[in-house]
Amino acid sequence: MIGIPTALLLGTILLLLLLFVAARGSVGAREPTSRSDVPLLDDEAALDPCPPEFVARIFSPDDWEFVSATGSPQLEKLFRRERKVVALAWVHQTSLAVRRIMREHTQAARHSRDLQFVTESKLVLLYAELMLLCGMLFLAIQSAEPQRVRGLAIYAGALSQRLAQAQHDLQTMTAGREFHSAS
Amino acid sequence: MLNQLVSWSCIALESVLLFRGLRSKLGSRYPAFYTYISFVLLQDLVCYFAFRWVHSLYTYIYWTSEFLCILFSCGIVLEVYRVGLSSYPGTARITRKVLGFVFAVALVKALVSAANDPRWWLEATAKDVAGTLRAVQGIAIIALVSLFLFYAIPFARNLRGILVGYGLFVCWTIICLTLSSSVSENVHAFLKNLYQASYPVFLLFWLVHLWSYQANPASEVEVPLEREYERIAAVTRRRLHDVRGQLAKVVGS
Repeated sequence: MIGIPTALLLGTILLLLLLFVAARGSVGAREPTSRSDVPLLDDEAALDPCPPEFVARIFSPDDWEFVSATGSPQLEKLFRRERKVVALAWVHQTSLAVRRIMREHTQAARHSRDLQFVTESKLVLLYAELMLLCGMLFLAIQSAEPQRVRGLAIYAGALSQRLAQAQHDLQTMTAGREFHSAS
Repeated sequence: MLNQLVSWSCIALESVLLFRGLRSKLGSRYPAFYTYISFVLLQDLVCYFAFRWVHSLYTYIYWTSEFLCILFSCGIVLEVYRVGLSSYPGTARITRKVLGFVFAVALVKALVSAANDPRWWLEATAKDVAGTLRAVQGIAIIALVSLFLFYAIPFARNLRGILVGYGLFVCWTIICLTLSSSVSENVHAFLKNLYQASYPVFLLFWLVHLWSYQANPASEVEVPLEREYERIAAVTRRRLHDVRGQLAKVVGS
Protein backbone atom coordinates (compact mmCIF):
# COMPACT_ATOMS: atom_id res chain seq x y z
CA MET A 1 0.00 0.00 0.00
CA ILE A 2 1.35 3.43 -0.85
CA GLY A 3 1.81 6.00 1.91
CA ILE A 4 -0.20 9.17 2.33
CA PRO A 5 2.58 11.54 1.09
CA THR A 6 3.07 9.41 -2.05
CA ALA A 7 -0.66 9.28 -2.69
CA LEU A 8 -1.00 13.03 -2.27
CA LEU A 9 1.99 13.67 -4.53
CA LEU A 10 0.63 11.31 -7.16
CA GLY A 11 -2.83 12.84 -6.89
CA THR A 12 -1.50 16.39 -7.17
CA ILE A 13 0.65 15.65 -10.24
CA LEU A 14 -2.24 13.84 -11.91
CA LEU A 15 -4.68 16.61 -11.07
CA LEU A 16 -2.39 19.35 -12.41
CA LEU A 17 -1.70 17.46 -15.64
CA LEU A 18 -5.37 16.76 -16.22
CA LEU A 19 -6.36 20.35 -15.49
CA PHE A 20 -3.74 21.40 -18.02
CA VAL A 21 -5.23 19.02 -20.60
CA ALA A 22 -8.73 20.32 -19.84
CA ALA A 23 -7.57 23.95 -20.05
CA ARG A 24 -5.76 23.29 -23.32
CA GLY A 25 -8.93 21.75 -24.68
CA SER A 26 -11.10 24.69 -23.72
CA VAL A 27 -8.62 27.16 -25.20
CA GLY A 28 -8.52 25.03 -28.35
CA ALA A 29 -12.33 25.03 -28.50
CA ARG A 30 -12.45 28.83 -28.55
CA GLU A 31 -9.79 29.15 -31.20
CA PRO A 32 -10.41 27.97 -34.74
CA THR A 33 -7.14 26.06 -34.78
CA SER A 34 -5.46 24.43 -31.85
CA ARG A 35 -2.28 26.21 -30.83
CA SER A 36 -0.31 23.04 -31.21
CA ASP A 37 -1.11 22.86 -34.90
CA VAL A 38 -0.37 26.48 -35.74
CA PRO A 39 2.96 26.99 -37.44
CA LEU A 40 5.36 28.18 -34.80
CA LEU A 41 6.73 31.07 -36.77
CA ASP A 42 3.49 33.04 -36.56
CA ASP A 43 3.22 33.38 -32.81
CA GLU A 44 6.79 34.01 -31.87
CA ALA A 45 7.20 37.60 -33.00
CA ALA A 46 7.82 38.61 -29.41
CA LEU A 47 10.85 36.37 -29.36
CA ASP A 48 12.96 38.42 -31.71
CA PRO A 49 16.43 38.20 -30.25
CA CYS A 50 18.29 41.32 -29.17
CA PRO A 51 21.13 42.38 -31.48
CA PRO A 52 24.45 40.98 -30.14
CA GLU A 53 26.06 44.41 -29.73
CA PHE A 54 23.02 45.65 -27.81
CA VAL A 55 23.15 42.72 -25.36
CA ALA A 56 26.93 43.05 -25.00
CA ARG A 57 26.38 46.67 -24.03
CA ILE A 58 23.75 45.82 -21.42
CA PHE A 59 26.04 43.35 -19.68
CA SER A 60 29.20 45.37 -20.08
CA PRO A 61 30.93 46.42 -16.83
CA ASP A 62 31.76 49.79 -18.44
CA ASP A 63 28.38 51.28 -17.58
CA TRP A 64 28.66 50.07 -14.01
CA GLU A 65 32.13 51.60 -13.67
CA PHE A 66 30.85 54.86 -15.13
CA VAL A 67 27.91 55.01 -12.69
CA SER A 68 30.15 54.09 -9.76
CA ALA A 69 32.48 56.92 -10.69
CA THR A 70 29.66 59.46 -10.29
CA GLY A 71 29.54 58.61 -6.58
CA SER A 72 25.74 58.92 -6.46
CA PRO A 73 24.17 56.16 -4.32
CA GLN A 74 20.73 56.87 -5.78
CA LEU A 75 21.98 56.53 -9.32
CA GLU A 76 23.84 53.33 -8.43
CA LYS A 77 20.69 51.91 -6.88
CA LEU A 78 18.59 52.81 -9.89
CA PHE A 79 21.19 51.42 -12.28
CA ARG A 80 21.46 48.15 -10.34
CA ARG A 81 17.70 47.69 -10.35
CA GLU A 82 17.29 48.48 -14.03
CA ARG A 83 20.13 46.23 -15.13
CA LYS A 84 18.81 43.37 -13.05
CA VAL A 85 15.42 43.66 -14.71
CA VAL A 86 17.00 43.64 -18.16
CA ALA A 87 19.22 40.66 -17.31
CA LEU A 88 16.25 38.72 -15.95
CA ALA A 89 14.30 39.52 -19.09
CA TRP A 90 17.17 38.07 -21.06
CA VAL A 91 17.14 34.83 -19.06
CA HIS A 92 13.41 34.60 -19.64
CA GLN A 93 13.95 35.08 -23.35
CA THR A 94 16.63 32.40 -23.35
CA SER A 95 14.43 29.88 -21.61
CA LEU A 96 11.66 30.66 -24.11
CA ALA A 97 14.14 30.04 -26.92
CA VAL A 98 15.12 26.65 -25.48
CA ARG A 99 11.48 25.68 -25.10
CA ARG A 100 10.84 26.82 -28.61
CA ILE A 101 13.65 24.67 -30.01
CA MET A 102 12.21 21.66 -28.24
CA ARG A 103 8.67 22.43 -29.36
CA GLU A 104 9.80 22.73 -32.94
CA HIS A 105 11.49 19.36 -32.56
CA THR A 106 8.47 17.60 -31.07
CA GLN A 107 6.13 19.04 -33.67
CA ALA A 108 8.41 18.05 -36.49
CA ALA A 109 9.23 14.61 -35.09
CA ARG A 110 5.84 13.40 -33.81
CA HIS A 111 4.72 12.24 -37.25
CA SER A 112 7.82 10.20 -37.84
CA ARG A 113 7.37 6.43 -37.73
CA ASP A 114 10.95 6.07 -36.71
CA LEU A 115 11.16 7.96 -33.42
CA GLN A 116 13.98 6.52 -31.36
CA PHE A 117 13.50 6.14 -27.66
CA VAL A 118 17.18 6.62 -26.77
CA THR A 119 17.58 9.72 -28.94
CA GLU A 120 14.38 11.25 -27.60
CA SER A 121 15.40 10.49 -24.00
CA LYS A 122 18.77 12.18 -24.51
CA LEU A 123 17.10 15.25 -25.98
CA VAL A 124 14.67 15.43 -23.08
CA LEU A 125 17.54 15.18 -20.58
CA LEU A 126 19.44 17.88 -22.43
CA TYR A 127 16.35 20.07 -22.43
CA ALA A 128 15.88 19.51 -18.69
CA GLU A 129 19.53 20.39 -18.07
CA LEU A 130 19.19 23.61 -20.03
CA MET A 131 16.06 24.63 -18.20
CA LEU A 132 17.88 23.93 -14.94
CA LEU A 133 20.79 26.10 -16.07
CA CYS A 134 18.36 28.90 -16.91
CA GLY A 135 16.90 28.58 -13.44
CA MET A 136 20.40 28.75 -11.93
CA LEU A 137 21.18 31.86 -13.97
CA PHE A 138 17.96 33.44 -12.85
CA LEU A 139 18.96 32.89 -9.23
CA ALA A 140 22.55 34.05 -9.88
CA ILE A 141 21.34 37.34 -11.39
CA GLN A 142 18.91 37.82 -8.53
CA SER A 143 21.63 37.39 -5.95
CA ALA A 144 24.65 38.96 -7.73
CA GLU A 145 25.29 41.92 -10.02
CA PRO A 146 24.24 41.26 -13.63
CA GLN A 147 27.51 42.60 -15.04
CA ARG A 148 29.35 39.76 -13.33
CA VAL A 149 27.77 37.34 -15.79
CA ARG A 150 29.42 39.02 -18.71
CA GLY A 151 29.42 35.87 -20.84
CA LEU A 152 25.71 36.36 -21.30
CA ALA A 153 26.43 39.00 -23.90
CA ILE A 154 28.42 36.58 -26.05
CA TYR A 155 25.78 33.94 -25.57
CA ALA A 156 22.95 36.30 -26.56
CA GLY A 157 24.67 37.12 -29.84
CA ALA A 158 25.17 33.46 -30.64
CA LEU A 159 21.63 32.65 -29.60
CA SER A 160 20.13 35.26 -31.90
CA GLN A 161 22.03 33.73 -34.80
CA ARG A 162 20.87 30.25 -33.85
CA LEU A 163 17.28 31.42 -33.63
CA ALA A 164 17.55 32.90 -37.07
CA GLN A 165 19.01 29.61 -38.28
CA ALA A 166 16.23 27.68 -36.51
CA GLN A 167 13.60 29.78 -38.22
CA HIS A 168 15.25 29.18 -41.53
CA ASP A 169 15.44 25.40 -40.90
CA LEU A 170 11.79 25.26 -39.93
CA GLN A 171 10.72 27.26 -42.94
CA THR A 172 12.66 24.89 -45.17
CA MET A 173 11.10 21.88 -43.45
CA THR A 174 7.57 23.32 -43.70
CA ALA A 175 8.09 24.15 -47.35
CA GLY A 176 9.32 20.60 -47.91
CA ARG A 177 6.19 19.16 -46.28
CA GLU A 178 3.91 21.35 -48.37
CA PHE A 179 5.78 20.28 -51.46
CA HIS A 180 5.43 16.58 -50.54
CA SER A 181 1.72 16.91 -49.75
CA ALA A 182 1.03 18.84 -52.93
CA SER A 183 2.83 16.35 -55.15
CA MET B 1 -31.75 7.63 1.99
CA LEU B 2 -28.80 9.59 0.58
CA ASN B 3 -27.04 6.35 -0.35
CA GLN B 4 -30.10 5.15 -2.21
CA LEU B 5 -30.37 8.44 -4.04
CA VAL B 6 -26.70 8.22 -5.07
CA SER B 7 -27.06 4.57 -6.14
CA TRP B 8 -30.11 5.23 -8.29
CA SER B 9 -28.66 8.39 -9.79
CA CYS B 10 -25.52 6.42 -10.74
CA ILE B 11 -27.62 3.69 -12.34
CA ALA B 12 -29.68 6.28 -14.21
CA LEU B 13 -26.63 8.22 -15.44
CA GLU B 14 -24.82 5.05 -16.51
CA SER B 15 -27.91 3.95 -18.44
CA VAL B 16 -28.17 7.32 -20.19
CA LEU B 17 -24.44 7.24 -20.96
CA LEU B 18 -24.78 3.79 -22.54
CA PHE B 19 -27.91 4.82 -24.43
CA ARG B 20 -26.15 7.89 -25.84
CA GLY B 21 -23.12 5.74 -26.66
CA LEU B 22 -25.30 3.45 -28.76
CA ARG B 23 -27.24 6.28 -30.39
CA SER B 24 -24.17 8.28 -31.37
CA LYS B 25 -22.19 5.14 -32.29
CA LEU B 26 -19.52 6.12 -29.80
CA GLY B 27 -19.70 2.59 -28.41
CA SER B 28 -17.96 1.18 -31.45
CA ARG B 29 -15.30 3.89 -31.36
CA TYR B 30 -14.53 3.54 -27.66
CA PRO B 31 -15.41 -0.11 -26.91
CA ALA B 32 -13.24 -0.40 -23.79
CA PHE B 33 -14.81 2.64 -22.17
CA TYR B 34 -18.37 1.51 -22.84
CA THR B 35 -17.57 -2.04 -21.72
CA TYR B 36 -16.30 -0.55 -18.48
CA ILE B 37 -19.46 1.55 -18.03
CA SER B 38 -21.63 -1.52 -18.80
CA PHE B 39 -19.74 -3.50 -16.21
CA VAL B 40 -20.08 -0.72 -13.62
CA LEU B 41 -23.83 -0.62 -14.30
CA LEU B 42 -24.05 -4.37 -13.83
CA GLN B 43 -21.93 -4.11 -10.67
CA ASP B 44 -24.18 -1.38 -9.26
CA LEU B 45 -27.31 -3.46 -9.85
CA VAL B 46 -25.80 -6.68 -8.48
CA CYS B 47 -24.40 -4.91 -5.41
CA TYR B 48 -27.66 -3.10 -4.79
CA PHE B 49 -29.70 -6.30 -4.80
CA ALA B 50 -27.02 -8.21 -2.89
CA PHE B 51 -27.06 -5.51 -0.20
CA ARG B 52 -30.82 -5.82 0.15
CA TRP B 53 -31.31 -9.58 -0.08
CA VAL B 54 -28.02 -11.41 0.60
CA HIS B 55 -26.28 -9.00 2.92
CA SER B 56 -23.86 -11.63 4.25
CA LEU B 57 -22.31 -12.01 0.78
CA TYR B 58 -22.29 -8.31 -0.01
CA THR B 59 -18.62 -7.67 0.94
CA TYR B 60 -17.35 -10.59 -1.17
CA ILE B 61 -19.49 -9.61 -4.12
CA TYR B 62 -18.48 -5.95 -3.82
CA TRP B 63 -14.71 -6.54 -3.72
CA THR B 64 -14.75 -9.25 -6.40
CA SER B 65 -16.64 -6.96 -8.76
CA GLU B 66 -14.39 -4.06 -7.75
CA PHE B 67 -11.27 -5.98 -8.84
CA LEU B 68 -12.91 -6.97 -12.10
CA CYS B 69 -13.84 -3.34 -12.53
CA ILE B 70 -10.20 -2.27 -12.07
CA LEU B 71 -9.15 -4.82 -14.69
CA PHE B 72 -11.77 -3.53 -17.14
CA SER B 73 -10.68 0.03 -16.46
CA CYS B 74 -7.12 -0.78 -17.59
CA GLY B 75 -8.68 -1.04 -21.04
CA ILE B 76 -9.59 2.66 -20.87
CA VAL B 77 -5.93 3.66 -20.50
CA LEU B 78 -5.01 1.43 -23.45
CA GLU B 79 -7.89 2.83 -25.47
CA VAL B 80 -6.79 6.43 -24.88
CA TYR B 81 -3.34 5.38 -26.06
CA ARG B 82 -4.73 3.52 -29.11
CA VAL B 83 -7.18 6.20 -30.29
CA GLY B 84 -5.14 9.26 -29.34
CA LEU B 85 -1.94 8.10 -30.99
CA SER B 86 -3.36 6.27 -34.01
CA SER B 87 -2.06 9.02 -36.31
CA TYR B 88 1.28 9.31 -34.54
CA PRO B 89 3.09 5.97 -34.84
CA GLY B 90 6.42 7.33 -33.64
CA THR B 91 4.94 8.85 -30.49
CA ALA B 92 2.96 5.63 -29.96
CA ARG B 93 6.21 3.68 -30.07
CA ILE B 94 7.82 5.94 -27.46
CA THR B 95 4.67 5.70 -25.31
CA ARG B 96 4.73 1.88 -25.45
CA LYS B 97 8.30 1.90 -24.18
CA VAL B 98 7.58 4.44 -21.44
CA LEU B 99 4.47 2.54 -20.27
CA GLY B 100 6.42 -0.73 -20.35
CA PHE B 101 9.12 0.90 -18.24
CA VAL B 102 6.53 2.27 -15.77
CA PHE B 103 4.88 -1.15 -15.36
CA ALA B 104 8.26 -2.87 -14.97
CA VAL B 105 9.33 -0.39 -12.26
CA ALA B 106 5.96 -0.76 -10.47
CA LEU B 107 6.23 -4.55 -10.57
CA VAL B 108 9.81 -4.57 -9.28
CA LYS B 109 8.93 -2.11 -6.51
CA ALA B 110 5.90 -4.18 -5.48
CA LEU B 111 7.95 -7.39 -5.41
CA VAL B 112 10.77 -5.77 -3.43
CA SER B 113 8.31 -4.25 -0.94
CA ALA B 114 6.51 -7.56 -0.53
CA ALA B 115 9.79 -9.43 -0.10
CA ASN B 116 10.92 -6.98 2.57
CA ASP B 117 7.65 -7.29 4.43
CA PRO B 118 6.30 -10.86 3.96
CA ARG B 119 3.36 -10.14 6.27
CA TRP B 120 1.95 -7.85 3.57
CA TRP B 121 0.67 -10.88 1.63
CA LEU B 122 -1.29 -12.01 4.67
CA GLU B 123 -2.39 -8.69 6.11
CA ALA B 124 -3.11 -6.64 3.01
CA THR B 125 -6.78 -5.82 2.81
CA ALA B 126 -8.76 -5.68 -0.39
CA LYS B 127 -8.64 -1.91 0.02
CA ASP B 128 -4.82 -1.94 0.11
CA VAL B 129 -4.59 -3.99 -3.07
CA ALA B 130 -7.18 -1.83 -4.84
CA GLY B 131 -5.28 1.29 -3.76
CA THR B 132 -2.01 -0.10 -5.10
CA LEU B 133 -3.58 -1.08 -8.43
CA ARG B 134 -5.17 2.35 -8.78
CA ALA B 135 -1.81 3.97 -7.98
CA VAL B 136 -0.16 2.00 -10.81
CA GLN B 137 -2.97 3.15 -13.10
CA GLY B 138 -2.43 6.71 -11.92
CA ILE B 139 1.29 6.54 -12.75
CA ALA B 140 0.50 5.10 -16.18
CA ILE B 141 -1.95 7.96 -16.83
CA ILE B 142 0.66 10.51 -15.70
CA ALA B 143 3.18 9.02 -18.15
CA LEU B 144 0.62 8.93 -20.95
CA VAL B 145 -0.64 12.48 -20.41
CA SER B 146 2.93 13.83 -20.09
CA LEU B 147 3.82 12.35 -23.48
CA PHE B 148 0.58 13.66 -25.02
CA LEU B 149 1.41 17.14 -23.74
CA PHE B 150 5.08 16.95 -24.64
CA TYR B 151 4.36 16.00 -28.25
CA ALA B 152 1.36 18.40 -28.36
CA ILE B 153 -1.00 15.65 -29.49
CA PRO B 154 -4.42 17.22 -30.18
CA PHE B 155 -7.48 15.78 -28.38
CA ALA B 156 -11.05 15.70 -29.54
CA ARG B 157 -13.82 16.45 -27.07
CA ASN B 158 -14.78 12.77 -26.63
CA LEU B 159 -11.30 11.46 -25.97
CA ARG B 160 -10.46 14.39 -23.72
CA GLY B 161 -13.63 13.76 -21.71
CA ILE B 162 -12.78 10.09 -21.24
CA LEU B 163 -9.18 10.81 -20.27
CA VAL B 164 -9.79 13.76 -17.95
CA GLY B 165 -12.86 12.18 -16.33
CA TYR B 166 -11.20 8.84 -15.76
CA GLY B 167 -7.92 10.43 -14.64
CA LEU B 168 -9.72 12.58 -12.06
CA PHE B 169 -11.65 9.54 -10.88
CA VAL B 170 -8.41 7.56 -10.41
CA CYS B 171 -6.82 10.53 -8.63
CA TRP B 172 -9.78 10.83 -6.27
CA THR B 173 -9.85 7.05 -5.66
CA ILE B 174 -6.13 6.92 -4.79
CA ILE B 175 -6.49 9.74 -2.27
CA CYS B 176 -9.67 8.34 -0.69
CA LEU B 177 -8.36 4.76 -0.44
CA THR B 178 -5.06 5.89 1.06
CA LEU B 179 -6.60 8.29 3.55
CA SER B 180 -9.35 5.89 4.62
CA SER B 181 -6.78 3.40 5.91
CA SER B 182 -5.34 5.84 8.39
CA VAL B 183 -8.17 7.96 9.73
CA SER B 184 -10.68 7.58 12.54
CA GLU B 185 -14.00 5.79 12.11
CA ASN B 186 -15.98 9.01 11.73
CA VAL B 187 -13.70 10.44 9.09
CA HIS B 188 -13.65 7.07 7.36
CA ALA B 189 -17.44 7.04 7.17
CA PHE B 190 -17.47 10.61 5.89
CA LEU B 191 -14.84 9.78 3.22
CA LYS B 192 -16.81 6.71 2.15
CA ASN B 193 -19.98 8.76 1.68
CA LEU B 194 -18.10 11.53 -0.10
CA TYR B 195 -16.47 8.97 -2.42
CA GLN B 196 -19.81 7.41 -3.29
CA ALA B 197 -21.48 10.78 -3.74
CA SER B 198 -18.73 11.99 -6.08
CA TYR B 199 -19.18 9.23 -8.66
CA PRO B 200 -22.29 10.80 -10.26
CA VAL B 201 -20.18 13.93 -10.84
CA PHE B 202 -17.73 11.91 -12.96
CA LEU B 203 -20.61 10.26 -14.80
CA LEU B 204 -22.10 13.69 -15.55
CA PHE B 205 -18.72 14.86 -16.81
CA TRP B 206 -18.55 11.89 -19.18
CA LEU B 207 -22.13 12.40 -20.26
CA VAL B 208 -21.47 16.03 -21.22
CA HIS B 209 -18.33 15.13 -23.17
CA LEU B 210 -19.76 12.01 -24.80
CA TRP B 211 -23.22 13.28 -25.68
CA SER B 212 -22.40 13.24 -29.38
CA TYR B 213 -19.54 12.14 -31.57
CA GLN B 214 -16.80 14.57 -32.40
CA ALA B 215 -14.01 13.46 -34.68
CA ASN B 216 -10.43 13.65 -33.53
CA PRO B 217 -8.57 16.63 -35.02
CA ALA B 218 -7.34 15.57 -38.42
CA SER B 219 -3.73 14.68 -38.35
CA GLU B 220 -1.49 16.87 -40.44
CA VAL B 221 -0.78 15.39 -43.83
CA GLU B 222 1.49 12.44 -43.34
CA VAL B 223 4.72 12.87 -45.18
CA PRO B 224 7.57 10.44 -45.43
CA LEU B 225 9.49 11.97 -42.53
CA GLU B 226 11.15 8.71 -41.52
CA ARG B 227 14.26 9.53 -43.46
CA GLU B 228 14.18 13.02 -42.01
CA TYR B 229 13.96 11.96 -38.39
CA GLU B 230 17.68 11.46 -38.01
CA ARG B 231 18.24 14.87 -39.51
CA ILE B 232 15.63 16.52 -37.26
CA ALA B 233 17.07 14.84 -34.17
CA ALA B 234 20.61 15.77 -35.17
CA VAL B 235 19.67 19.42 -35.75
CA THR B 236 17.86 19.59 -32.40
CA ARG B 237 20.74 17.91 -30.60
CA ARG B 238 23.25 20.29 -32.17
CA ARG B 239 21.21 23.35 -31.27
CA LEU B 240 20.63 22.21 -27.71
CA HIS B 241 24.33 21.36 -27.37
CA ASP B 242 25.22 24.84 -28.61
CA VAL B 243 22.91 26.41 -26.06
CA ARG B 244 24.30 24.17 -23.32
CA GLY B 245 27.87 25.12 -24.23
CA GLN B 246 27.06 28.79 -24.07
CA LEU B 247 25.13 28.46 -20.83
CA ALA B 248 27.94 26.44 -19.26
CA LYS B 249 30.35 29.18 -20.30
CA VAL B 250 28.13 31.79 -18.69
CA VAL B 251 27.71 29.79 -15.49
CA GLY B 252 31.46 29.21 -15.35
CA SER B 253 32.36 32.85 -15.92
